[in-house]
Amino acid sequence: MSEHNTIQSYLETVASQIRWKRARPIVTLELERHLEDQRDTFAAEGHENAEQMALAEMGDPVVLGVKLDSVHRPAPQYGLLALTILFALFGAILRIWLTADWEQYYMDIDPLKTLLAFALGCTALLLGYFLDYSRLGLHGRKVYIGALIIGVMALFFSPHIAGVPYYTRYIALCYPVVYAFWLYTCRRKGWMGLMLSIIGGIPLALICVLTPNAFGFLMLLVTGFILLIMAAWNNWFELGRRKSLLSVILCAAVIVGTGLCYFLSSDYSIRRFSIALHPEQDPLGAGYQAYAIRKALEISMWFGEGTWSPEIFAYPFEKTVPGCDSDALLTTLVYKLGWLPFLIVVMVFVALVGLLVYRCLKHKSQLGKVVALAVVITLFAQALCSVAYNLGFTLFSAAFPMVIGNLNTVINMWLVGLVLSVFREESIARDHACDEKSLLPRYRIKILVQKC
Amino acid sequence: MELDKSLISGSMALLVMKLLEGSDMYGYQMIEELKKRSDNTFHLKAGSLYPLLHSLEEKGYVSAYEQNATAGKPRRYYHLTRQGRGALQEREKSWSIYAHAVNRVLGGGVCYVGA
Repeated sequence: MSEHNTIQSYLETVASQIRWKRARPIVTLELERHLEDQRDTFAAEGHENAEQMALAEMGDPVVLGVKLDSVHRPAPQYGLLALTILFALFGAILRIWLTADWEQYYMDIDPLKTLLAFALGCTALLLGYFLDYSRLGLHGRKVYIGALIIGVMALFFSPHIAGVPYYTRYIALCYPVVYAFWLYTCRRKGWMGLMLSIIGGIPLALICVLTPNAFGFLMLLVTGFILLIMAAWNNWFELGRRKSLLSVILCAAVIVGTGLCYFLSSDYSIRRFSIALHPEQDPLGAGYQAYAIRKALEISMWFGEGTWSPEIFAYPFEKTVPGCDSDALLTTLVYKLGWLPFLIVVMVFVALVGLLVYRCLKHKSQLGKVVALAVVITLFAQALCSVAYNLGFTLFSAAFPMVIGNLNTVINMWLVGLVLSVFREESIARDHACDEKSLLPRYRIKILVQKC
Repeated sequence: MELDKSLISGSMALLVMKLLEGSDMYGYQMIEELKKRSDNTFHLKAGSLYPLLHSLEEKGYVSAYEQNATAGKPRRYYHLTRQGRGALQEREKSWSIYAHAVNRVLGGGVCYVGA
């Protein structure tokens, strides 16, 4: 004990016994506060060597470190990692296999690019898995501002395909998580925090609107609302649960009301919606894709390839159904392999998301829960819209996570990796009482009153 | 009187959980409170308390959150969860059976003589 004369050297010895480096500062912070309390008490009692007495009181640092080491170990998520990799591999093989005998490859279905995307996706998954998400939570404002800058840059500099900046659609997939980090920085700030949390969503939504990316916008809106409800329920803004919930619901009602007013006053939106529901009203124009998808599904079998007939369409399937190698790939799956394989793919994905939701709800840290929930909603929303799209309701186009699209697969695998890092680090998950340092300098005004 | 440490260590989890049944506390506060309630009989070492608290948290018996203490410094408060309350009830029951049995033996207890 004699060599540990200061709290810092004592804590260093404790930390050296903890093998998980990331756990060290988190665990020793609590001990440091305890030692300071004990030292101050001894000092107040008039002891001269208060610090040494506090250290002696705590006990042998090596024994303490060893005990803490046995408690604080990362929880490996091998099962979920393997499930994600297998699912993504299955998606890559499916993409290559379904389109193998087609004359022209779409750029996304180039086998080499598909395998490269899978490899990059696995790398992104592991990067997310080993990422310290709590550090991102501590620097939530910087993450938010960084995401905004990247979004704006993508709006202006990204290559435009069909008049739309190509990369913004993919960047928008990360916005629900970015919003979760932003929301976390608004805790414990009362009405100001609540206002900032709502206002913070506007620039992200604006980027989606300017893209334009209706799916990204709606996904952000829904995720934001669910996360805000969760924050209000847990009294993040310290206004009381009822007051916070009422404010969030009121705000959501205003946004939905405004959206509905806009929708009802826009002929284009109404026409698009009615064609999505009844594409046969315009089978050769805007409703053509949905109409072709529905026709292809009508002739699909439970198992095996559907019966394509020239009486239905003059050209083969791949030249008739637009996007059958990208957003409508699931339609291709149903047509070429049957409804049963389609249902298996969907069920496996639902099982993966279900497992993530179950683990997310059990998670003890609020930051971890909010980040995991944002990712899970993002994955689920994409899957839901993609299934609807591939069943002939083509209102919003979205790629099925880890099955459709190369870049989409990479980003979604990174998101899954982030959730797994939340589960992996559960034993050291902490919601800090201290706020992130402001990006702007703070000034203190000192007023001196001088007696004349 | 100095107590045998092995007597305390077996029941430490029970004592800590009992403390938390009343209100949420941070580590230092728990040690002080236990000292006070036991008339200075139980002197918990912080070096034993924190690994115990962390393992109880791992099991889901307690949850923790950070909050500024009265002195203004942020402290890690521990809260007994519903699962922890259930475990506490069970441990209390086991302890009373054990204590009752020990007392009976020490006090002479039931004696079966000359059957």
